[in-house]
Order: sequence, then structure tokens, then C-alpha cells
Amino acid sequence: MITIAMTTGFVLILIGLYGALTNTNILRMIVSFTIASTGVNVVLVSVGYMPGRTAPILDDAVPVGSATTSIIDPIPQALVLTAIVIGLGVTALMLAYAYRLFRIRQTLDISKIVELKW
Amino acid sequence: MVSAIFIIVVGLGAAFALGLLKDSWRNGAFALTMAALAVMSWISISWLGALASGAAQPTDILTAGVQPPFAINLRVGLAEAGLLSVITLTGLLSALYLRDALMQQGRRSMAVLLIAIMALSGIVLTRDIFNLFVFFELMVISTGGLVLLSDDERAIGAGFKYLVVTQVISILLLVGIIFTYHAQGSLNIDDFAAQPLAAKGAGLAFFLLLMALVLELKPFPANGWALDIYESAHPGFSAIFSAASGTAAVYAADKVLATGGAEWLPLATFIGLFTFLASNILALRQDNDRRLLGYSSVAQIGLVLAVIGQRDILGDQFLYIAGGILIAHAVAKAGLFWISGVITRRELTAWTVLRLNPPLVVAFATFLAMLIGLPPFPGFYAKWELAHHLVAEGRVAVLVLILIGALIEAGYLFRWFGLAIKREAPVARPKYAPGKVLVIYAAALLGWYAGYRWGALSQYDNLLQAMPLMVALGFLLIEGLPARIKNVIAIAALCVWFWLSYGSFDPLQMIFGVIFMIGGAVIFLASFHETGRRLGFYPPAMLMYAGLAMLIVAESSFAFFAAWEVLTIGSYFLILRGKKSEPHALSYLMFSLGGAFAILLGFALAAGGTAPLAIADLAQVTGAVAPWVFVLLAIGFMTKTAAIGLHIWLPGAHAEAEADVSPMVSGVLLKAGLYGMFLLLMTMGRQHLFGVDLTYVLLWIGALSALLGNLMAIFQEDAKRLLAYSSIGQMGYALFGLAMMNHLGWLMALMFVINHYVYKSLLFLSVGGVAKRTGTRDMYRMGGLIKLMPLSFIAVLIGIITMSGVPPLSGFGGRWIFYNAIMTADARLPMVLVFLSGPIAFLYLFRLIHTIFLGQLKDEHRQLKDAPFWILLPQMIYVAFLLGFAVLPGMALRRVDAYIGEHFTEQGLSWEGLTITSEFGYWSPVQIMIVIGTIFTLLFLLLLALNHKAQWVKQFNIVYAAERPFRPETTHFAWNFFAPYRRALGFLLAPLVTRFWGAITNALHETAEFTRKLYTGNGQTYAVHVLVFVVVLYLVAGGIS
Amino acid sequence: MIRKFASVVLLLILGYAFYSLVAGFVPDGELNRSAAYYAENTARETGAQNIVTAIIVTYRGLDTLGEVTVLFLTAAIVAQVLSHSRAPAGTRGSGFLPAGELLETGTRLLVPLILLFGVYVFVNGHLTPGGGFQGGAILASAMLLLLLADPMRRFSHRLIAKVESISGLTYVALGVMGLVLAGGFLDNRILPLGQFGALFSAGAIPLIYSLIGLKVGAEFSSMLESLEETEDR
Repeated sequence: MITIAMTTGFVLILIGLYGALTNTNILRMIVSFTIASTGVNVVLVSVGYMPGRTAPILDDAVPVGSATTSIIDPIPQALVLTAIVIGLGVTALMLAYAYRLFRIRQTLDISKIVELKW
Repeated sequence: MVSAIFIIVVGLGAAFALGLLKDSWRNGAFALTMAALAVMSWISISWLGALASGAAQPTDILTAGVQPPFAINLRVGLAEAGLLSVITLTGLLSALYLRDALMQQGRRSMAVLLIAIMALSGIVLTRDIFNLFVFFELMVISTGGLVLLSDDERAIGAGFKYLVVTQVISILLLVGIIFTYHAQGSLNIDDFAAQPLAAKGAGLAFFLLLMALVLELKPFPANGWALDIYESAHPGFSAIFSAASGTAAVYAADKVLATGGAEWLPLATFIGLFTFLASNILALRQDNDRRLLGYSSVAQIGLVLAVIGQRDILGDQFLYIAGGILIAHAVAKAGLFWISGVITRRELTAWTVLRLNPPLVVAFATFLAMLIGLPPFPGFYAKWELAHHLVAEGRVAVLVLILIGALIEAGYLFRWFGLAIKREAPVARPKYAPGKVLVIYAAALLGWYAGYRWGALSQYDNLLQAMPLMVALGFLLIEGLPARIKNVIAIAALCVWFWLSYGSFDPLQMIFGVIFMIGGAVIFLASFHETGRRLGFYPPAMLMYAGLAMLIVAESSFAFFAAWEVLTIGSYFLILRGKKSEPHALSYLMFSLGGAFAILLGFALAAGGTAPLAIADLAQVTGAVAPWVFVLLAIGFMTKTAAIGLHIWLPGAHAEAEADVSPMVSGVLLKAGLYGMFLLLMTMGRQHLFGVDLTYVLLWIGALSALLGNLMAIFQEDAKRLLAYSSIGQMGYALFGLAMMNHLGWLMALMFVINHYVYKSLLFLSVGGVAKRTGTRDMYRMGGLIKLMPLSFIAVLIGIITMSGVPPLSGFGGRWIFYNAIMTADARLPMVLVFLSGPIAFLYLFRLIHTIFLGQLKDEHRQLKDAPFWILLPQMIYVAFLLGFAVLPGMALRRVDAYIGEHFTEQGLSWEGLTITSEFGYWSPVQIMIVIGTIFTLLFLLLLALNHKAQWVKQFNIVYAAERPFRPETTHFAWNFFAPYRRALGFLLAPLVTRFWGAITNALHETAEFTRKLYTGNGQTYAVHVLVFVVVLYLVAGGIS
Repeated sequence: MIRKFASVVLLLILGYAFYSLVAGFVPDGELNRSAAYYAENTARETGAQNIVTAIIVTYRGLDTLGEVTVLFLTAAIVAQVLSHSRAPAGTRGSGFLPAGELLETGTRLLVPLILLFGVYVFVNGHLTPGGGFQGGAILASAMLLLLLADPMRRFSHRLIAKVESISGLTYVALGVMGLVLAGGFLDNRILPLGQFGALFSAGAIPLIYSLIGLKVGAEFSSMLESLEETEDR
């Protein structure tokens, strides 16, 4: 179960990276990166998963006393929230950049934006 | 003490508060930004002060009231406080610098700037690996925002490339973090150190983590995006990107690396060195100033990473060394980017405009010296300590690579300085925004202050408290005074310094001391000729003399090396002043710095890691390392004496220098190398390498220098070049004498030291005076000046009589001792060479009289007067001295003879009355003088008698027939005077050495040109580079598990 | 073609590295020491039922402050980028087709509900799944709906900026109060922990999460608006 989730995450990362490295269209690159970061998030969550346990919320089902034995690792869940938000921020920024680039250069082809080099 | 978390609180709070202001209250918003940055800087600096003085202890700051690792904690120690100060001060000054751009873009951009500085501080402070990621992302995003401050539209593309690459980095970082967490059960960095990850099978996780952090350091070749940002961003932001972001990222890598255990350090060393070397080579081909600075930034951070890779052996000196390099880099790079912002065009030659604003030139030079690690800046001390630690642990290869990289860096940085100083400057002085210029000066002052602090922290005397250096730097402050007043002060300073220190000199130091100080003062008399303010002359000249003064009193290897570098820099700036000196000054500096690095390596090897080493203790160095120490030190000293093979800088440097500078750099400066050789041979004596006696090698080098130097001199048309080449030959003699390793050989070398100073200064001054009057240095354009410039004629006559070593003047004394000396030596072949070079010297010396003063007077020279008074005055002093020294050589040599006698068992000379006796014969200067005088008078009278009917021939009673040739000089009798000899001996002069060094330079340039094609400008390719970098290292490291 | 091939080779090697991560992964049998600490002490130390919330808002509060800052930063930069490059004149949103009766009416019905739901999610963050970020995103989705229904609609930039700034400043101020009144920066115990499981419990957590909710909602709205305005003029 964990292996499947984790493998899925890694495959998503690789697919995302492949897309980002082979598509010259900036928007496609951005989409590819969101796929890759989704993959990262899946990997993050899967690392914290423990078979047969429940969500880390101390309600009636999980009394405080038995929490140690019945909940999954809460830390990756906290981390993944942060990672998601940050990924979203970067994506928004890239989109804004893409818009601005298009306005200036009238193209979304990254291989044409090479006036700075060497 | 305010808790350091307030750096974050204030930064964030102010950023949020900016949102409350009206968009139109830009002044208020800017004031709030500046105030916040000032508070952040103040907190950092007060921590730095308290921690450095011991008033505070390193402190952990807990958040959420819970102990780590369960909540995030921050830490302020000395390193953190220092780096925070760098970051916040860079932010503060850059904000001031960016004022216009920020005001134009509004409060949002100010908030972004505040958050950027806050995030960088957070990277330094945090001890939690995921928190580090958060701050990293804040840095990335705020960088994305600040790139937009640029007017350059290409910056948008650069920013996007940066975002693409950081996406890849974030993926690696997050995967690395989560698996590290899984292995450790903690996100706290301090927990990792307790249990190294590799031991727990999490090596791959750590590798990914490390790669992500290293990639933020812009390692070669995965750094195209960074260069594009450097090139296109606003320079105010580039300063932050280079100084502050670089600093923070390096510290993050260091923090994580420190937990990984020693087995990861070689990887860091490799990446760091590779980046340092490659980026410096690539920078050679840059002609865009900001991109060049970008390459240099990348290289410097690579150097710091390489130093981090040595942390296992640096012990408690680690902070001092890495910090020294990092702070020097940060201040210098920020300063240079800020300067680039006041310059309108981007090619390197555009920096000529700085000349219209001399204080900016001083700032420019300060920043370059800091980057290269010249004294008295922090990088210098760091370099010294690093070298000793590396050598002590047998990591000589690392040190050699670092020194090669540093030499290349010095090459392109000083080439740039040369361009800025020598190329044609615009006429109109541009108006600079006062705020921007103020920021630049602040950075320069901070640089000097850092130098002072590092000096105070070092175990040696603080260089910035060394009296000679302070006096030299003091001349910077009185640059506004008229040249003549400064000249009086300079002469007084040299004399006073000599008077203060001569009491403690031994005879050897005395001879060199007199030449350096008193000799220097005499040459300064010629400088009275110059009027106006003569900007940029006295500080370098006095810097050179300060170096020389410190050199002769240096007792430890550190003091000696520091003095050596000081005099090198001073003389470089001095040589650079000549009209066409640009390439020659650069090649002088390259050879000298290369030599200095050889000396550094030699001293470090000799000390075996236990610096400081007393110079006298060189004698104690034994074992396999000793001959290498000898070789390295000898090479270092021979770069200054311009021994053949290392000589190609000398002719241009000496010939193109100004009239009064040529004698300084020839008559005085060359002796520094001889002084070094004296010390070396005195302490280390004969060393054998692979069974070869190294002094025998020196003997050959000396003989070849003497022969080839003189041979090259005879074919010169340019009088100053002729004198310059002859110096190579003369230094060859002196080296030969020293290498004979016997009493008389050394005495002869000392005789050459004295004589060469006098006659070379004399000849350079008189030829310089003539050149000033005639407006040319080509001898065939002169002629018949004997009546118009009689005093110059006398000076040259006396000079060449002395130099050619014929009786009755003191040059003969040198020869006499020399002949006595070689009677006792047994190296026959080199001896023959040296013999041969004697008559060759005569060939070119005679041309100075024959072509300049005899022959036909040129039409355009009919109205010439003798050289200016102030240039003649020192010449006459030299003439008087030469006559006196010819009669009474004992006045200087007697005591030295006795002193040398302490080192050799064999008999020296005996000095009885006016006669000097050796085991082969005697020399009585007075008798010789009388005999020669009598013969001369008799011959003169005889000639008068025989020629009493001689008829004066007017100059123009014959005329040329036929056409005027296309190149008039080809018909001049003195042009290509020794053509037959050239046909016979020219093969000896094939410029093999020049070709050799040229080929090395070309190869480096070709490599740079080829390699930089890697940076295609395509952001996607850059992302591929990043992955290639990681994958290749993964494979190289053998598939870490 | 070469690029694709090179990418595939690179990714294969990277994939191998990832594979060895997966293959070497052994799930924990029991909570590691950090997680165990939270399981045991969260209730006592923070009074929050939702351990993830306690970690986000308190134990790793500095991360969260950074996270909020990321959004603030992004919103500011996006606004700045886009304000520099409006669409060419004449392409103002007037070219849009009308959103249609269904959407317009639905919006009127749904927006208050969505807003209410968003607020519910963030004020209950310490008790149930959810919290400031989720709630904030829900708030912003109401804005999105409004924009979809009427592309011409504009919200007050100043109002959004004020909400953003004031909630941010208050958040930082609460953090500092933790430093002064309790154990450290962002310590939630500046307010009484209250009755475990009650709405008003867990010290400052609900307050902070509400601020985060408002701030996130404002930031997302600001970004949406900036993006929308690229169609202006």
C-alpha cells in the first residue's frame, strides 16, 4: 500500500520532470511542474503513513491516552500542507511571469528566450 | 540584547505594515523599509559585537516554548551573527541604493525586499531542515520579485529560468528532507549530527538534500540561470544576490554538511574547486561587466565550498578562514555591483569613466584587492592560514588548485582594472546619484574595517597597524595636496623611517635599507619636476616603499610574505601609470602574484603547518621537502629579478613607466628579489633535488640570463627598452654570483646590488630626461645632443663606464671581484657564458653615447635645452657617488665582507689602506684612477697635437641624392645597428619564452570560449544541466544507498 | 530528439535512485520520537484536538508564518508583474459572453454559504480536519465564483490589502506576545487553553488560524483579481 503510493508519487515526479524538460511551451512546463510537485506531495504523505492507524485527531475515537498507538505520523501531514501552499505560490508566480513574457516577447516558446547567454 | 528572532519579526512586520500605507505615500513606505532594515542590521551587529567580545554566549532561541526537535529553534553564534550582519547590512545599503527603483515600483517591491532579507536571515538562523526549506522558497520567490526591479526586459526571461531551475531543486530538496526525516525521526539539524545519516542507510536522502543545497550555490556547470540573473538584474539587487544570498546559501550547505560526517567533505571539496577553477577560466572571455562579476561570484562561492570541504582539518580556525574569504567576497562583490550601477554601458572599457572620480577608483581597487586576497584584507589572512593547514595535512594538491584559480581570477580582474585606468575616458564627468556613491564608499570603508578586524584577530601583527603601511595609506588622504608638497613628505617619510630603523640593521640589511630608503628618496628628487597634483602617484609609490621597508625587517615568514605582496601591489599600480603600460603592468602583476603564490607554498611547506616560521628557521628545514621549499622560494624571488624564462614582463614594464618611475622599479624594486635570494641561500644553502645541486641550476639560470638579457639589449632601438633588457642581464650576473656559493661571489653580488641601483637609476633618469626633451625614446631619432645636453651626456658617460666594468670606476671593482670569484668556482661552461656577456654589454652601452649624443643633430632638436633641473639633480648625485665609490669601495663593502665571512670558511678580501688584496692579486682603486687618468690625458694631448689642422665639417655640407625613402629610418646609420650580429645570433633570441607563456594564456582563453557555449540561454537546458550535475555526481559517488 | 533522449536517460538514472529509495523504505512500526512526543503532549501543551493543527500553528508555527508570507509575497509580486503589463487597449472584459442566468442566480445563493463554510473551516481548525489555509481557499473560491458570474466585477484593492496586512501584523504580534507572555515566539499559551475539545480552547490557535484564514483568503482573492485585471483596459 505504502509502496504503491510512494511509487505513484515518484512516477508522477518523473513524468512531471519529463514534461518539463521536453515541452518547450512555457505553460506546458508549468503544468508539468505542478504534476511533479503533486508527486512530491504524494511521496511526503506516504512516508508518514502507517498501516492500520487513523488520522491524528484526538476525538472520541482516539482518546488522548492511546494516541501513541493508534494515530499515524502527523508531521508529514503538516509538512505537506506547507509544501502545497509553497508550490501554489511558485506556480502562481510562474504564471505571472509567463504572462509578462508573452506580452514582451509574443511567444511562449522557452527555446526562443535566449538573449542572455554565454 | 534583543533576541535575534526580532530580525524576522521586524522584517515581516514591516512588510505587512507596508500594505496598510496608501500607494501614494512612497516616501513614508521607503522610510519604514529603511527603518526596519536598520533595526535588523543593528540587532545583528550588536550580537556580533557581543559574541566577538565574549559579552554574550551563543544562544538558542526556542519557538512555541517547546524544546527542539519538537519545535523549531533558531541559533545565534558567532558565525551566524557575522553572516547576519553581512546580510542585513547588504540589505540596508542596497535598499538605499535601490531607492529610485523602489520608489518607482511602490510599496509592494519594498515589502518583497524586506522579506528577502528576512528570509536570508532565517536561512542562517534556523536549525530545522524543513524550516530551512521554507526560508529557501521565500528567498526564491522574493528573488523572482526583485529581479523585476531591473529596467532590462531580459531580466524577465532570466527570472523565469531561475524559477524553472528552483522547481527542480525544490523537488530534490523535499524528497531529501522527507527521507531524512524518516531515517532520523526528527527534522532538527543538530539531531543529524548525533547520528550521521549514512550509517542509518539514508545516504541517498542526505545526498539529495546536499545536492539541493549545493545547487543553490550555483555550482559549475549547473549555473547558467544565475549568470543570466547577474547580467540582467538591477545591480542593487545583484549585490544582494551575490553577497547576501550567496552567504546564506553557503551557510545552509555548511550547516547540513557539518552533520554528514567527514566522508562527504571530499565531494564538497571537489564541487567547490571545480566551480572555482571553471568559473574563473570562463570569466576570462567576458566583456560584460556584470556577467563577469557573476562568474567571479560563482567562483568565490565555489572557493568557500572548497574551504568548507576542509573543515575536518581546519579546526577552530575554520570560521576565521571561511569567514575571511566569505566576508571579503561579500563586501567586494556588493561594492563592485554597486559601482556597475553608476556606469551606463556594460562593456568593461566603460569603466574608464571612473577616472573622472578618483575616490571611486580607490574603491574599485579596494574591492579587487579584497577579492583576490591581497593584504591587508581578510582574504589575505585567510589564504595564509588555509595554505598552512592544507600543507600540514598533505593536501598540497588542493592548495595548488586554489592558487591557480586565484591567479586566473587576478588576471581577469586586474586586466579589467588596467582597461579602466588606461583606455580613453570620456570627457564629461557624469553626475552620480549621491546616495549610490555613498553606498559604494560605505562598502569600501567596511572592507578596510574588516581587514583591520581580521588583522587584529590573527596571531600576527596587524598589518593595518604597521607604520610603513599606514604612512603609505595616509597618502590617500592627502591626495588633494600639490605634488611638490607630497614629494617633500614622501622624501621625509623615507628618511625618517631609515633613521628610525637603521640602528638595528645588520650589514646586509643596511645595504638594502640604504638602497630602498635613501636610494628611494634620491629618486624622489626627480619627482619634483612634476607639477600639479599628480593623482595616483604617491599612494602606490609609498605602498611599494612600505613593502620594501617591511621586507628588510621581516623576521617571520608571514611578515615577509605580507611585505612581498604589499610591494607587489604598490609597484603594479606604479607601473600601470605609464602611457602604454597596460599589458606590461598586467604581465608584471601576473608573474609577481604567481611568484608570490610560489613563495606562499614554499613557506607553508617549510613551516609544515606550524606557522609562523622565523626566516632564520628556514635553515632547520630538512628532509624530502627542503629542496622543494628551495625551488618554490627561488622561483618566487626570480620572478622579481626577472630571471630568464620569467622575464617577459620586465622590458615593457620598465620601459613604458614614467621617467622617475623607471628608476624606482628598476634600480630599487629588482633588489627585493635579490634580497630574497640572499636570505634563501644564506639559510638553506645548497639543496639537492634528484641528485642535482640546485645552486648549480641557479648558476646556469644566472649565466643564461646574463647572456640572453645582454644579447636582447643590443638589438633595441628604444633606449629605455635597451636599459630594461640590460637589467635582465645584470640581475643574471648577481644571481650567478650568489649561486657560486662562495665568499667572493656573494661580495660581487652585493657590489652589483649597489652598482646596479646607482647606474641603472642614473641611466634611466638621464635617458628619461632626454626622452622628455626629444619626445621620443628611439635612439635613431636622436643624435648630436652632446652640446645641447652636456650634463646628461656626462651622466650617461659615467653610467656606462661604471656599468661596462672598465676601469677606473666602481663597475671595474665589481668585475675584479667577479674574476677573483670565478677563479675559485668550478663550473666552467656557465662561466664562459658570463664572460661572453661582458663584451656584449659593451656593444649596447656604447650605443647610448654614440647614437644619442654623437652623430648628426636632428633639425627638430636644435632648440633643445638640457634635461630639467630636478631630473638632473639626482643624476649629479649619482655621478658624485660613483666617483667616490670608485676610489673608496671599502666604505660600503668592508663591513659586508666581514659579515659574509661569517657564512663562509674561505678567505675573503683583505682591506689595507686603499688597496684590496685577494689570493689572486690586488686592486688599488686610486692607483688605477691615476694610471687611467694619465693615459687618457696623454692620448688626448697626442690627438690634439696630431689633429691641429683638423677642419670642422658643417652638418649640412653634404646632401642626400635621389629619393627620400619610404621609411626614413632605414637609411639612418644607427637603425638596426647590429644587423650583422642579428643575422649571426638571432636564433638565440627567438621569443620562445614569450610564445610559451602566450600559448598557456591562449589555451585558457580557448577553453573559456569553447566551454561557455554550454550556457545556451535556454532555461530548459539549464534545468537539464541541474539534473546532469546531480546524476553525474550520483554515478561518480557510486550509487549512494 | 537528442534532448528527449537525454532527458529519458537522465530520468531513468534518477528513477533508479528513487527506486532505491522506495526499495529501501521500511515503514515505521511505531511512531518515531517526534511523532510520539506530539501524540502524547499535544493535548496537554496546546489543548488542540487536531494534532496536525497544533503542529502547524504552534510547534512549527515559524514554518506557517513563512508559508503565509509566501502567499503574501506571491500576491504582491503577481500584482506587481501584472500591473506592469495590462492587455492591449480595447480588449476589456466587455467581450465576454454573459455568464448566464443559472450561474448568476447560483452565485447569489452560494456565495454566502461558501463564505460561511470557509469561516467554519478555519475557526474549527484545532478540532476537526481543516484550518486556515483550507478555509482561506474556500473564501477565495467564493470570490472566484463572483468573478466568473460577472467578469466586470471589481473588489476594493485597498480593502483586500488592509485585511491582508492587518491579519498579518496581528499574527506577528501574537507571535511576539508568545515571546513576552509565554514560552517563546508563537507560543499559543498566551490565552487560556480552555476546555479540551471546545470551540474556544487551545489558546491562541483558533485566533491564529482565523487570521491565517482571512489572510489566505485575501491573498488568493488578490491574486485572482490581478489575473482577472490582465483583461482590462
